[in-house]
Amino acid sequence: MEMILERRTAWTKLAQVASGLLVCATIALGHPIRAQGSELTPAARAQEAAKTDSSPATKIVTDEAGRRVTVPVNVRRVVSLAPNLTETVYALGLADKLAGDTSYCDTPEAAKEKPHVGAPVNPNLEAIVALHPDLVLATAINRQETVDALARLGIPAYYTDPRTVSGMLETTTLLGDLLGAREQAATLVRELQDTLDALQPQLRERPPAHVFFVVWEDPPISIGQNTFIADALRWAGAESVIIAKQDWPQVSMEEIVRLRPEYIVLISNHSADGGDAAKQIDDLRVRAAWNALEAVKLGRVVVADEEIMRPSPGLVGAIVTLAHDLHPEVFGSAAAKSAALARVAGCGELALELKVETGAAVACAR
Amino acid sequence: MRPLTPRKIVAVCGALLGVLFVESVISLRLGAYAMDARDILETLYRGATQRWDEIPPEYRQIIFGLRLPRIELGILVGAALSTAGAGFQALLRNPLADPYVLGVSSGAALGAILSLIATPHTVGAIQLAAFTGAALTVAVVYFLGRRGGQLDSATLLLAGIVAASFLSAVIMFLMTTISGRDLRGMAFWLMGDLQSSPAVGLSWLYIVLLIAIGCIFTTSSDLNLILTGEQEARHLGVNVNRVKLVVYIAASVLTGVAVSVSGTIGYVGLLVPHVMRLLFGTDYRLLIPTSAIGGAIAIVLADTLARTVVSPAELPVGAMTALAGAPVFIYLMRRRIR
Repeated sequence: MEMILERRTAWTKLAQVASGLLVCATIALGHPIRAQGSELTPAARAQEAAKTDSSPATKIVTDEAGRRVTVPVNVRRVVSLAPNLTETVYALGLADKLAGDTSYCDTPEAAKEKPHVGAPVNPNLEAIVALHPDLVLATAINRQETVDALARLGIPAYYTDPRTVSGMLETTTLLGDLLGAREQAATLVRELQDTLDALQPQLRERPPAHVFFVVWEDPPISIGQNTFIADALRWAGAESVIIAKQDWPQVSMEEIVRLRPEYIVLISNHSADGGDAAKQIDDLRVRAAWNALEAVKLGRVVVADEEIMRPSPGLVGAIVTLAHDLHPEVFGSAAAKSAALARVAGCGELALELKVETGAAVACAR
Repeated sequence: MRPLTPRKIVAVCGALLGVLFVESVISLRLGAYAMDARDILETLYRGATQRWDEIPPEYRQIIFGLRLPRIELGILVGAALSTAGAGFQALLRNPLADPYVLGVSSGAALGAILSLIATPHTVGAIQLAAFTGAALTVAVVYFLGRRGGQLDSATLLLAGIVAASFLSAVIMFLMTTISGRDLRGMAFWLMGDLQSSPAVGLSWLYIVLLIAIGCIFTTSSDLNLILTGEQEARHLGVNVNRVKLVVYIAASVLTGVAVSVSGTIGYVGLLVPHVMRLLFGTDYRLLIPTSAIGGAIAIVLADTLARTVVSPAELPVGAMTALAGAPVFIYLMRRRIR
């Protein structure tokens, strides 16, 4: 009975607790939410304006997601949120402007020394703010949430989304424009395009090699038609046997057997195997189910450079290597491949090290 | 047992709110961007007195753009999930009930994903869909968990597990078939993530939160009686069905709100009410408000750890709560069996 009588007081208690919580919530929510430009107080806006006056003007550009981004005309500090973007910045000779990158950015070597802001899929926003960037570069491996959060913080984020090899070249041109390296970008893109075009007359004589591209071995994950990798394979005189709308389809072993790929293309794994291609191929030969594939039995396994996974200028080098590995009849010996790679490595301001299977590293310092 | 006075409720809640405040200030201090306590307090004070122009822009970005919104979201989610957990524990008369364990969070997540696919730009649609998903899942689990007209504890938990795995499979299917950038971030969201801020204004969600917690709180005296036995409660004049309906809807709303903004963060609804029972006793009039505040404390703590222990990388907050919550679940389960 006592409890029922106490029910009356429960209501007054509710009112007290609720009002207490409400006060807390009001205090917590009372601040003008987020640092968005439109929500700043007049005084803060004036200060913003004064700040922009002291630094050079801004311009409005449309990024590859169709978002309108206000970027400084003279970008001074860039944070890259993906390995391919980091590589592009280096390839454009803009290492000095790169204020930070991700823990995945390992090419060129110097990129490892830059301050890291975490991994591409979940970068630390505070670490980005701490680097005072005036532009952040993002791409498809980053999350929409990250790009949105940066926009809310008032940090311009430019989103790139190359879906083909030509798209990669266009992105390179756009980034050159954005970062004030138009000339370098034009030269670089022209040379990359020439390298790609130079492959085509020889490849045209041959039917495309039907390959199974291995993104992941267990479970087997391959590439969809709409990825830049599928396009890169076409430039290298190859065709993926997997027809899928998803970007990273998981495939059954049975399906691979049924599709009878002529070649299996693996990705070189520098971090685990130190780029030992022979070891990777040997591993596949003894792996259950894979060793039953005809292509594996015939030794038709090719290890592509890691760059094949990155829509950056280094992709072209990977395409050249792959084309030579898949079509030795038309391109000839390993020497021809080294020569072709040396040509790629000579492109523009490229400071990339391209590792050739023979072990010789072709460094470029032009 | 000493009678519970309103004064005691207010005193305990005030003390917990104090803990939450201190914890929030400490959390504001921690992060990849180094700021000392004086800067934090100065920034907060200037913000509170509307002198925005005196705050360095980067401090404003860090405090008001990043850390404070996360704490606000954490408080919302923690309070919602814990109160929902306490509510489900009373409703189902099962101490192991929790939105996550019962599959209710997965139901809410599926609802949210379906609404993102169907109506991606309608404000508030996610919340509504998440609530619907949660409510439907509770109903299904409730009916699956009955044996011979009686709620059976083990059957109920099994029904929850089955529902959770089935719903996860459906979510998996949707995420694999619908490829696209927008759904990819969901892998993170599903693990429980406080980084993305909701499209709906946080103030609205707070209002819904307070109303739902208030609804459960008004039934707390009745819940005390129901927990001693439904028949007895009926004899004492409690409208058992009405109380159950109120708790059912309010707990589903709370789960929906939490899941729609933060994904499935597990075990908070289990862990916090039990800690509060150990600390302050089993009276629901005290348990509901302390669970709400305690949940906020737990999530703010978990999220602070999630974003600092592996800095500059981040862990999903759901991983932190599962690390702490799963052992407690096992402990409670074994204690009951003995």
